[in-house]
Amino acid sequence: MKIIAAIAWRNIWRNPARSGVLIAAIVAGLWAGISVSSLSNGLIVQRFNNLIEQDLTHLQIHHPHYLAEREPWMVVLNADSIFLFLENDERVRSFAGRVLSDGIIQSPVTSTGVQINGIDIQREPLTTNFHLNLSEGEYLDSNLPNPVIIGERLAQKLQMEIGNRVVLMFQDTGNDLASAAFQIAGLFNTSSRVYDERNVFVRAEHLNDLISADAIVHEIAVILHDAADADSLTAQINHTFDEVKAETWYELSPELRYMSDFGNSVTFYVMVVIMVALAFGILNTMLMAIFERMRELGMMIAIGMSKARVFMLIMLESVMLTLTAAVGGMLLAWLSVRYMQRNGVDLTVFGGDSLLEFGFDPLIFPFILAADYAAVTLLVICTAILASIYPSIKALRLNPGDVIRE
Amino acid sequence: MAIVQTKNLSKVYNPDTVPVHALRDVSISIEKGEFTSIVGPSGSGKTTLLNMLGGLDKPSSGSVWVNGKEITSMKESDLIDFRLYNIGFVFQHYNLIPVFTAHENVSFIMLLQNRSKKEIKERADELLEEVGLGDRKNARPVEMSGGQQQRVAVARALASEPKFILADEPTANLDSTSAMNLLDIMSRMNREQNVTFVFSTHDQRVIDRARRVITMVDGAIHKDEYQNVEETKTG
Repeated sequence: MKIIAAIAWRNIWRNPARSGVLIAAIVAGLWAGISVSSLSNGLIVQRFNNLIEQDLTHLQIHHPHYLAEREPWMVVLNADSIFLFLENDERVRSFAGRVLSDGIIQSPVTSTGVQINGIDIQREPLTTNFHLNLSEGEYLDSNLPNPVIIGERLAQKLQMEIGNRVVLMFQDTGNDLASAAFQIAGLFNTSSRVYDERNVFVRAEHLNDLISADAIVHEIAVILHDAADADSLTAQINHTFDEVKAETWYELSPELRYMSDFGNSVTFYVMVVIMVALAFGILNTMLMAIFERMRELGMMIAIGMSKARVFMLIMLESVMLTLTAAVGGMLLAWLSVRYMQRNGVDLTVFGGDSLLEFGFDPLIFPFILAADYAAVTLLVICTAILASIYPSIKALRLNPGDVIRE
Repeated sequence: MAIVQTKNLSKVYNPDTVPVHALRDVSISIEKGEFTSIVGPSGSGKTTLLNMLGGLDKPSSGSVWVNGKEITSMKESDLIDFRLYNIGFVFQHYNLIPVFTAHENVSFIMLLQNRSKKEIKERADELLEEVGLGDRKNARPVEMSGGQQQRVAVARALASEPKFILADEPTANLDSTSAMNLLDIMSRMNREQNVTFVFSTHDQRVIDRARRVITMVDGAIHKDEYQNVEETKTG
């Protein structure tokens, strides 16, 4: 085996120009493939993390019909029992109750529809990182009376500033209209323009007092230590508490799951295209190498080298050639991805900040797992083996008597 | 017992279209220690016969026996293995492995035989000394003359300790001095180590050195005669 490996390795460098061109093509292909995949992953992972960690969380609990009908009286029953259950479950990192209402925000200039989010200022920062989006002013722990934080873009639309008053109008649990004045304590800025224009945040207790005389919760957001536990915990909650409905992040936001799957398929298709090109490159190179070395291979068979060893020689040559290039390609890709991870890739130069319209951050930080490099290596080896089967069979069919005489 | 023997060997190419009778009912027997030339004009069947003797081609009819074993009915994989241990080859175009040094080329066949590292090194050194290339063992084929490459090929053929060596036009690509030098080496091995050589050749210098000359015409044996050879040494 050692001698076969030695011949295979040296054969690669017999025609440095030809091997060099193939190696360069593989290096460029892998570099491009991994870079594009990591950018696509980064885009999607950022969007995923933004949604999960800023607002959606891994699972949410509501009244069974709340999400469909959004009636203020559709509150989570037995919320205290659920809180106790969640507090005692080791899979739960944190949770927070929310009081929600669809309403209108009104400034002296204009009014617009918004979702009013009443949040628990103690628990919400432990559950989501929404508070990190505060770009100006104070959080809801401000000393202002009835503080509200709104998106920068909404503030522009309403022509309001920090300290100004706005009026929030909404329905209470008795289906009566209620309204109250709130003072803008701070502004936030997320990577989604739509989100920023459609959400305002107040203290849960303030909204609760305006909507109902009782302590109510419309939504319990739960963040887990491991997202993979979402299914089992959701099932357990639904089994334990009949009067509520728990749903995982992908049930609440199917498009997020679709996006995650789409990201995986982008990586898959990019790699398939690269591997097909790679396979043809290897096939061409190995066929040329075999046609050039017919007599030599014939001699090897003539003097007693078994056809299994000849087969192995061609296979090893392909795999070694491809792996050499793959190492180079992946090293280059790793360096590029590392550089981009540190500095980010600003896509605003390609399309302004239009990505914000779709909830994507235009500054992308590529993301790729070590396992992805291992998968690519495995894929490259498999491709090399598959592509070298035909040349190897060609070599096996050589009749040493004929080729030596030629 | 004959080292190699053929019985009524025939080979027809394109039997269904335009049949070409490369060999017609050839029966020969070569004993251990013979130094035999197979001669004849182009197309007379020399190389075809040599390929049959080496198990590189299958006859249309008849059989080939090497050291008492019939090789014509062997499976291809068995035949390859049989060649590894029983038959040495020297080709007209040397056919060394270009990426290997002289020493590695000679060692290669012994590695295929799974011999020990020590034995391989010692035997390769010894054989390269014998063919006069002790100082060129790290040279690659591209760094050697044709004569030197053919001497490495002879050393390689001898390395596997075969029952006999088949040499197809071994001097055809060599200048006169290199050819005589190679012939000296081969006849010395034949004389001193009783190595059996069978050549196909056009080269009168080779024919003059052979103790047995088999002449072929149109695929059949025309003449099979022994001759007295005066040993000469050149180069």
